[in-house]
Amino acid sequence: MTQPTSLNINVKRRLGDTHLDVQFQSDGGLTAFFGRSGSGKTSLVNLLAGLDTPDAGIIEVGGVSLYDSVNAINIPPEKRRLGYVFQDSRLFPHMSVNGNLRYGMRFAPRHDTGDEQHQDFGEIVDLLGLTTLLERQPASLSGGEKQRVAIGRALLACPRLLLMDEPLASVDAGRKSEIIAFIENLRDQLEIPIVYVTHDLAEVIRLADTMVILDNGRAVASGDVENIMSRLDLRPLTGRYEAGAVIAAVVVRHDEEFGLTELGFAGNSLWVPRLDLASGASLRVRIRARDVSLSRARPEDTSILNIFEGKIVEITEDEGPQQEILIDIGTPLIARITRKSLKQLNLQTGDTVFTMVKAAAIDRHSLGFGGSRDRRNKLEIKPGR
Amino acid sequence: MFALSPLETEAIQLSLRVAGVAVLACLPLGVLTAWVLARHDFFGKSVLNGIVHLPLVVPPVVIGYLLLVTFGRNGPVGRWLWDTFEISIAFSWKGAAVAAGVMAFPLMVRAIRLSFEGVDKGLEDAARTLGAPRWWVFLTITLPLILPGILTGVILAFARSLGEFGATITFVSNIPGETRTLPLALYSLTQVPDGESGAMRLVFIAVALALIALIASEALSRRISKRMGG
Amino acid sequence: MPHRSLILCFFLILLALFALLIPRAVIAAPSIKIFAAASLSAAMEEAVRVFEKKTGHRVVPVFASSSNLAKQILNGAPADVIISANQSWMDRLERENRVEPGSRVTFLGNYLSLVAPAKSDAGFIWGTKTRLSELLQGGRLAMGDPDHVPVGLYGKAALQSLGLWDDISPHLAPAPNARAALAYIERGETPLGIVYSSDLIGRKKLREVARFPKSAYPPIIYPLAVIKARSSSAVKAFVTFLQSNAAQAIFSRHGFLPSGATN
Repeated sequence: MTQPTSLNINVKRRLGDTHLDVQFQSDGGLTAFFGRSGSGKTSLVNLLAGLDTPDAGIIEVGGVSLYDSVNAINIPPEKRRLGYVFQDSRLFPHMSVNGNLRYGMRFAPRHDTGDEQHQDFGEIVDLLGLTTLLERQPASLSGGEKQRVAIGRALLACPRLLLMDEPLASVDAGRKSEIIAFIENLRDQLEIPIVYVTHDLAEVIRLADTMVILDNGRAVASGDVENIMSRLDLRPLTGRYEAGAVIAAVVVRHDEEFGLTELGFAGNSLWVPRLDLASGASLRVRIRARDVSLSRARPEDTSILNIFEGKIVEITEDEGPQQEILIDIGTPLIARITRKSLKQLNLQTGDTVFTMVKAAAIDRHSLGFGGSRDRRNKLEIKPGR
Repeated sequence: MFALSPLETEAIQLSLRVAGVAVLACLPLGVLTAWVLARHDFFGKSVLNGIVHLPLVVPPVVIGYLLLVTFGRNGPVGRWLWDTFEISIAFSWKGAAVAAGVMAFPLMVRAIRLSFEGVDKGLEDAARTLGAPRWWVFLTITLPLILPGILTGVILAFARSLGEFGATITFVSNIPGETRTLPLALYSLTQVPDGESGAMRLVFIAVALALIALIASEALSRRISKRMGG
Repeated sequence: MPHRSLILCFFLILLALFALLIPRAVIAAPSIKIFAAASLSAAMEEAVRVFEKKTGHRVVPVFASSSNLAKQILNGAPADVIISANQSWMDRLERENRVEPGSRVTFLGNYLSLVAPAKSDAGFIWGTKTRLSELLQGGRLAMGDPDHVPVGLYGKAALQSLGLWDDISPHLAPAPNARAALAYIERGETPLGIVYSSDLIGRKKLREVARFPKSAYPPIIYPLAVIKARSSSAVKAFVTFLQSNAAQAIFSRHGFLPSGATN
């Protein structure tokens, strides 16, 4: 049964040297399109928006066909009811922020009562912190402010789906976390699904429910973020340096004396530096493979707080001095060790090993509150010991 | 010294009226032509471009003659206009306006076309994704953004119309009060053995008018840019 | 290297410019330059051909309205002989000392005609009607600009003396020269026009409505003069030829009054 927020995409498009050929489906929430520059992400979003036409295929949002080459359906962009937040914000320079925000409202489908629209405006302006900016001209805004206005403008057009193309690309580092927080808020408070294009894995981990990896115009993999991140075969695309498993966890308690927080997941406890979250809050943790060590025997008298027992599921056969090992500790975890150690310890698939993660290795950038409220509520997270 | 003679007043008023009407009449067609040339590719595009630019490269007297052949009382369009609407533009200020408009048209189209090409198509795309139909995008996004170009085109066309001579005198001749615009009045004075001093006065007036137009356009242009560029 | 070919192009263009700017006198054989009123063009070209064949001298005629020609000479144009369509500009040239003293002669005469397009059946007899405008039927009367074009000045004088000027003057189409006036009438843009009688010769698209009475306008005289310091033997030969019977016959055939008749 198609949900009102589902996505069904199967398109082919040839643009110069790029051959785009993408198929995937998703059930809503925030879907990330992830890939290097030139992998076709923006082209794909333009096809979704209707700014470009596929050579063949089908695009369905919430069961509605926006494009169908077989049935000769091709709805023009202005009728697709999709909000598009561009990388370069594209605010109209000759209108104030207020004018920009209201631009799409004129064509938004009428709500039942006139009041609802008015409420939307105030709500969204508040949500994005735009109240003081309303009378400003776009040229006088910072990159971060522009993007917030761009998001607000897209939302006020009452879209059934929000497209965001690398919205943080033109925002300086200091402002990025501010905007990411806004987007998280959006994702949680609004019911509409979001398609989010990025080449930054941290954004994916923080924001996305599902991710689609694009490489050279093809969708190489799609699925839940945790699943994709734990697949060793995708590492070249997800970035070797940053590779690591993503774990869904819940805040169990805080240790005030030592300034630590205990996170529970899959029957284990993960100690991290004190987080500013309430008990019971759910979150995602990325544990970089380079921060995970292995031992055959349970280490004793060690400074490391996080020790998990697990079974080796897979071992890579890369060139170079380092290998990665997928271990099941109740949830997948990836460790990176030297080939020499691999040989010396004679590790084989199926062996029981102990993994160690330094508490200090988990930093703010590794955390996210991935997934919509509904989805997180569905996950059963068991607190540890 | 600063009082204007009746001849001068008449010539100035006529020039302003002829140039004003010429520019206003050119504007919609000019915007349309500039839009077609800037945004579309089609078979015969270079031919259209050539025709638009003809008045720039062909001697004005030739254009005037072509206008006479077409719009004169016995010309195809002239006769149709007379039979259908009882309108005759030959030997009238309306004909002078047509002559001025034709000569100024390429300047206007060039300026506006340049402006169109400078509009970020991405902004138009953004407007469409917000639900605006194409014509609304044109009215609310494209037009305001090409306003500086339109202004430039209008000023250029106005200045060119004020100075139009060859096509005018050939098409509608030199009728005082009807087609004797500033340049034609100037010409008449220079043809008379003792008309030089009167001609100089007219020269000053013509230059002053042109300067006023240029300064006004600069000021307006700056105000518009400020509003858009912060 | 792109630079080298650009520089080469640049120098080639400079060379071409120099070549074009070299005074023609250096390259071409010396020629006699005649500035003549536009109405004389057909006749003069025929006369020039005869002269060139006879004497081997080269003649280059330049035709324009008399006022333009005179002004160009006043500004130093290299003409050898000027033939104006009226006296006042010649007077001016004499006043400004541009003319070889004693060289001014009466060259040709002409008459004035009221004309209409060939298809028109307009008729007019002097003295029977007081208003020419009735014949116009909403159209205009084409003539050289009565302010400065010679044929227009004569026309205005004639209309004034016949008492027709006030009525017709708001309905004029003043042309910058005699040729343009002719064009208006031949094309049927104006139902009436005033031109030199000589312009009727050989023009099938024109029809004479009436010839202006000679008494109504000052005699139309084409004065001829040699420009100061241009009186070479070739020029003298040409001026003599123009006044010879053979040349005068040519001009008669084109509708002009020979100088003998006007003196």
